[in-house]
Amino acid sequence: MMRNRLARAAAAALALAVTTTTLAACGPSDGTESGEPTTITMLVLGDKPTNGRLEAMLEELNPLLEEEVNANLDLFYVEWADWQTQYNTQLLAGDDSIDLITTATDWLFAWENAEKGAFLPLSEEMLQEHAPRTWEQVDAEGHWELTKLDDGQIYFIPEDNFTQWTNHGFFYRGDWAAEAGFEDGTITRFEDFTTYFEWVKENQPDAYPWDVAGANEAALIGYLQGHTDGQTIGQLTAGNYFPFQTTEADPYTVTSWYMEGDELLEAAELAKEWNEIGVWREDALNYDGQTREQFFAGLSGVDQHHTQTYVGTIVDNMTKKQPGSDPKFFYWGQENGNVFRDILTHGAMAVNATSNNPEKALEVYDVIRNDQEAYMLLTAGIEGTDYVITEDGELGYPEGYDSSTDALGSNFWAGRMDEFELDRVTDAPNKQEIYDGLDAVAKEYPYSTFVPNKDLIDPTLAAMGGVLSEYIPQLQYGKFDDPAAAIDEMRQKLLDAGYEDARDSIQSDMDAWAEERGLK
Amino acid sequence: MVMQASAATRTDVEEHDPVPTRPRASLLRRIGRNRTLLLMCLPAIAFFVVFSYAPMPGAWIAFTNFNYRDGIFGSPFVGLRNFEFLVQSGQLWLLTRNTVLYNLAFIVLGNILQIALAIMLNEIRAKYFKKISQAVMFLPYFISVVLIGVIAFNLLNYDTGYVNALIQQTGGDPIKIYSIAGAWPIIIVLFQLWQSTGYGSIVYFAAIMGIDNSLFEAAAIDGASAWQRIRYIILPSLKPTFIILLLFSLGGIMNGNFGLFWNLIGNNAALFSTTDIIETSVYRMILSQNNFTSSTAVGLYQSLFGFALVLLANWIVRRINEDYALF
Repeated sequence: MMRNRLARAAAAALALAVTTTTLAACGPSDGTESGEPTTITMLVLGDKPTNGRLEAMLEELNPLLEEEVNANLDLFYVEWADWQTQYNTQLLAGDDSIDLITTATDWLFAWENAEKGAFLPLSEEMLQEHAPRTWEQVDAEGHWELTKLDDGQIYFIPEDNFTQWTNHGFFYRGDWAAEAGFEDGTITRFEDFTTYFEWVKENQPDAYPWDVAGANEAALIGYLQGHTDGQTIGQLTAGNYFPFQTTEADPYTVTSWYMEGDELLEAAELAKEWNEIGVWREDALNYDGQTREQFFAGLSGVDQHHTQTYVGTIVDNMTKKQPGSDPKFFYWGQENGNVFRDILTHGAMAVNATSNNPEKALEVYDVIRNDQEAYMLLTAGIEGTDYVITEDGELGYPEGYDSSTDALGSNFWAGRMDEFELDRVTDAPNKQEIYDGLDAVAKEYPYSTFVPNKDLIDPTLAAMGGVLSEYIPQLQYGKFDDPAAAIDEMRQKLLDAGYEDARDSIQSDMDAWAEERGLK
Repeated sequence: MVMQASAATRTDVEEHDPVPTRPRASLLRRIGRNRTLLLMCLPAIAFFVVFSYAPMPGAWIAFTNFNYRDGIFGSPFVGLRNFEFLVQSGQLWLLTRNTVLYNLAFIVLGNILQIALAIMLNEIRAKYFKKISQAVMFLPYFISVVLIGVIAFNLLNYDTGYVNALIQQTGGDPIKIYSIAGAWPIIIVLFQLWQSTGYGSIVYFAAIMGIDNSLFEAAAIDGASAWQRIRYIILPSLKPTFIILLLFSLGGIMNGNFGLFWNLIGNNAALFSTTDIIETSVYRMILSQNNFTSSTAVGLYQSLFGFALVLLANWIVRRINEDYALF
C-alpha cells in the first residue's frame, strides 16, 4: 500500500516534469479502479457551512460516486474573508491534496493562474476518456476555444450551459420612486436617480439614499456604460479595475474610458452632486456595514449588485421584509442597450497541476455535472430536508427552513446545467420577463477567445492598478473639490505608469487575434 | 570563523602544544558548561531559523517572473524588472518617507513617554494607587487593533461619530475627519502611544527598580531633591536600556504597525499621502493585484534598508560609546 502510494506520487511528479502533452498517457492512478475509493477534493469559494447539512448530503452523494467511478468527494473552502488573497495563495502553495479548483476568468483570476502553471493542461484525449459527457456537450457548442491559452491547451472546463445574468445595476424601491414622481415608480435613466435620492433624503429621514460601504466604482461605471458605447475587455485587470475598453463603433481599437473622452468627468461631477446631497455616508470609504441588510430594513434607498441577486434574493426578501416596497432593478446600460451577455467562463472548473489523481478528478466532475441525481444532491441537497418540489414543479423549502442558517453551502458554481435547474419559489415573479428583456438587447461579448500576453505589461498593469485605486474611489464618492483637475492628475500618473506602452502591446495582440479570425 | 582564527593564533603561540584537537574539546566543554543557557536560547534560535532564515531563499521570487509550475527557482529570471514597478508607481519615496517618519515619531515620543511614566510610577508611594494606575495604563495593549479601528470610526466619523455629535451639540459644524489627510499623523501617533506606552514603560520601570539603593541613600544624605535624584541618578542609569531599546527599534524602522494602520485607514485613498506605509501598500498590492513578485521585491527592499539602518545605528553608537554597541 505504502509502496504503491509512493510509486504513484513519484509517477505524478514525473508526469509534471515531462512535457504536458504526454500527461494523459501517464495515467498513474488507473490501477486503483478496484481498490479503495480515491478521495477527490474540490476547492470551492465560500464560508464552510457548520449546520451539518453538507456532511449529510455527502454521505448520500459518495456511495453514488463510489458506485460510478470508485471515488469520494470532499470539499475545501476558501472563505470570504480576504478571498482574493487566500485563493491565490492557496493555488500558489501547490497543495497536492486538492484536485479540482473552482475558477473563473472574470472574478477568480483563471487566466493569471493558468499562466502561472497552477492548472493542469487538459488534453482532448484525457477529457474524452475521463469526462466524456462534459467533453461532448462543451465540444458540440465549440466552447473549448474559450478555455485555451495561447499555447493552444485547454486549462479549464467552462460552466457554459447555465443561463445567468450577472450584469450590475441599482435595486431601488418602486413605492418611493412613485412618490418621488416617477411614473409606475420606474426609473429609466441613470441621472434620474438624483431625483430619487433627493426625495429619499427629504422624506425618509432614517434612510440613506444609497448606503454603500468601501471602495466602489458603481456610480462611475453605471454612468459610463449608459453614456458611451465602451466595451470593457474583461481579460485585462489592473488591480481591481478594468482599464481597457474598445467601442462598439470601433471594436478592434483598444482604448480606455478612464483616459479618453469627457464622460468620466461627467460621471465624477454627478457623483460629486450626489455626495453633496448626502446620498451616502460621508465616510463611506471607511464604513464597513451590511448595506444589503440596511436595504432590507428600509434604511437605504438603493442597493447595488447584479440581475441574479435581484431575481433570487432581493425581490423575495423585500416582499417579505418591506411589504409594498415594489423592488425594482435598473441595470447599467439600460438607456442605450450597452449591456453584455454573461461570458461562459464566469464559472469554470480546473484540475490542480499538482493533483495526484487528475483522471479520477475529471471522472468525478463528469458525474456531478451530468448525472441528475448527483447534481441535485450536490447543488440542492437532500430532498425533504434541504428542499422540496412543489406542486408546480418548483424548488421550494421544507417547513421551518431558514435560508440564513440552513443553507447547504456546497457552492458548486463551476458546472451548473440549465436542464437540471428548477425555478425556485423564492425567484422573482417577473424573472422571465427580466431575462427576456435582457435577452432582447444584450450583446454577445466579442473577446471571449482573446488572450492578451501580459508577461511584459504586468508591472505596468500593477502600477496602473495602484494609481486607479487611489483616484477612482475618491471620484466615485465625489471627494475631490475639483474633479477635472483630479482626473487630469490621474491621467498623467497613468501615462507615467506606462499606459501607452501597455495599450500598444494589447493593441498588437488584438490586431493579431482579429486578423487570425478574419475580423479585421 | 572567529573560533578557528583564535585557535590558530593560540597554537602559534603555544608551540609546545602537540594536540591540535584541543580547541574542539574546549568548545565542547564550553557547550557543556553553558548547556542550561544554550537550552534556554534554543526556542528563540529555532524561531528565527524557521521563520527568518529558512524562508530567506524564497526572496529569489523578487528577481523572477514567477509561475507556480516552475516554482521559485525554476521560474524565468528577470533581473531587476520587478523593482522597476516600485519606482514606476512613484510610491517608493512616499512609502519610505511615511514609514520612517511614523517610526521616528513612535520611537522618540514613545520612549520619552515611557521613561516619564516609569519615573512617575516610581515616585508614587501609595501602593494600591500605583498598582491600579499600572493596570489601567497596561490595558490598551491588550485591545485588538481591529477594535481600535472600530472605536476610532465610531468616535470620528462624520454622520454618527461621537466627536462630531459633541461639536454639533455645542453649536459647531461637524468636521470631515476621514477626508483630512493632515489630521491622521496626529491621530495615528496618539492611538499608537495610547496603546503601547503603558506596556513599554515596564522595561524602564524594571530598570529603575534595579538601580542600587545605596545611590539613593547617599543622595538623600547629601540632601538631593526628588528632581535631582531623577536628573542625576535615574536618568543616567536608564541610558543603557534606552540605547539598547533604541537600537532594536531602529532596526525595525522600515517595519510599520500594519494592524493599526490598516484598521484605521483601510482603503481610504484620500488619506494615503500621509498614512500609506510599506506594509499597507504591499498588502493592497497582493490583495488586489495577485502580484507576488512585486510584493516580494518590496519586502526585500524593506529588509535590506532595515539591515543597513541597523548597521549604521550600531556604528554611530559605537562611535559614541563602545560599551553600548550591540556588536
